[in-house]
Amino acid sequence: MKTLTRRSAVTNALRVAALGAVASLALSGAALAEDLLAKAKAKGELTVGTELQFAPFDFVEDGKQSGMNKEIFAEIGKELGVKVTFLDLPWPSVLPGLEAGKFDMVAGPATITKARMERYRFTSPIANATVAILKKKGDASITKPEDIAGKKVGSAKATAQLAQLQEFSKTLPTPPTIQEYVDFSQSYADLGAGRIVAVANSLPNIAYLAKTKPDVFEVVEPPFGKPVYFGFIGSKSEDAKSLMDAVDAVLIKMKHDGRLAALQKKWFGTEMSTPDQVTEASF
Amino acid sequence: MFDVNLIIKSLPMLLQASVWTVIYSLSSVAIGFCIGTLVCAAGLSSSRLGRGFSAFYVSFFRGVPLLVQLLISYYCLPLIGVNVPSSVAAVGTLALCTGAYLAEILRGGFLGIPPGLIEAARMVGLSRAKILTRIEVPLAVRLTLPSLVNETTMMVKASSLISVVGVLELTRLAQNIATSTFQPLEIYLTAGAIYFVINGAITLVGGFAESRFRLEKAR
Repeated sequence: MKTLTRRSAVTNALRVAALGAVASLALSGAALAEDLLAKAKAKGELTVGTELQFAPFDFVEDGKQSGMNKEIFAEIGKELGVKVTFLDLPWPSVLPGLEAGKFDMVAGPATITKARMERYRFTSPIANATVAILKKKGDASITKPEDIAGKKVGSAKATAQLAQLQEFSKTLPTPPTIQEYVDFSQSYADLGAGRIVAVANSLPNIAYLAKTKPDVFEVVEPPFGKPVYFGFIGSKSEDAKSLMDAVDAVLIKMKHDGRLAALQKKWFGTEMSTPDQVTEASF
Repeated sequence: MFDVNLIIKSLPMLLQASVWTVIYSLSSVAIGFCIGTLVCAAGLSSSRLGRGFSAFYVSFFRGVPLLVQLLISYYCLPLIGVNVPSSVAAVGTLALCTGAYLAEILRGGFLGIPPGLIEAARMVGLSRAKILTRIEVPLAVRLTLPSLVNETTMMVKASSLISVVGVLELTRLAQNIATSTFQPLEIYLTAGAIYFVINGAITLVGGFAESRFRLEKAR
């Protein structure tokens, strides 16, 4: 789950508020019926909601947006003949914004889960989101995921990654002590400071971290979680269908001509194979 | 582990974002002041409708959290056909909210004006609007300056909420940088210091205005 969101009190208030907003939206039903793709093409602009706090997909570098999303959407914009404009919002506001029609689709990306598939339409996956272990560079006591048994491990509160860590812990002889953080950055800081020995998070995120700080962190291969994928999100409504179909076509094309693999190599340090379409989520 | 270089590197960006914080909060206080004056005047008027409206307005905008107001204006208003851009939703909501608080602050000021002054103004034939803008508002502002300055500093801090509608300001940029660099401590300390300086400046200006416009001197 892409819940890199923190500040428990504020976030929870926000969530409740956002839920309220969604509920009232749902009650009043569909608003404007107009084909999103036709509208974006007429306007020459595709608006995408995202949160700039999810490296390596979307983050801030020298005050500007950077990351894989920007580059993938540049390709999508080129193929569709539109300019792409990003809108940065806190993650709990992003999906309500999609439902209120504030933007055409959502970058994120988010883990493709069963619950989310019921409400939203995911694009063709762009990365493997399977959960893996991040350890301190050179820690010889952890060479495979099972080695975290009996040790102190961190993950972020209310995330799909934490849920997978908890499930995995039950299979170990001595379950690890799980420390829950408001956001992943704090767990990385504690790992760096030696308060915990490992962090469980999706592979692209920790692979990027290990790549940017190679003398501090290291990824433990292979991932331990159920295989899940990251995808962009759109509305399930009829007016979004042609847009989502068009975006899917571009992404699948990028998979086949190697453009996506090149971007994966650039941002994760490694290529990842992803299916053209996830029809059934494992989680 | 404290990284001074990161602060030096991020400071120009944070300062740029803090300009937006100042613009959004001060413009909303300015608009909110006009709203507050009208709401307060309505509340003190002899019209029953005016008093009812004022009471309802103040209780709604004071009673509902600003965060919820922002979410409503941005996500719910589109459903009734009002689709405003992020910045308009942000400034509008902040102004409407602070208007309610300012109305209550000004009410205290209005009630502190000696009735004889108003009667005298009426005697010399000033219109109701003139009495409001030339006599009541200046006097009420003088009487309530400390509270008005206080409310302004509160709005500078409240502006940290407007990122929920997709507006970039100081807090949002600080969060974005903190999570992108994985170094929250330095960035949040810097952001906190910038807020402190902004509000320090507002307090200084307020203090200056207070000594400049002291009522004893005016008499």
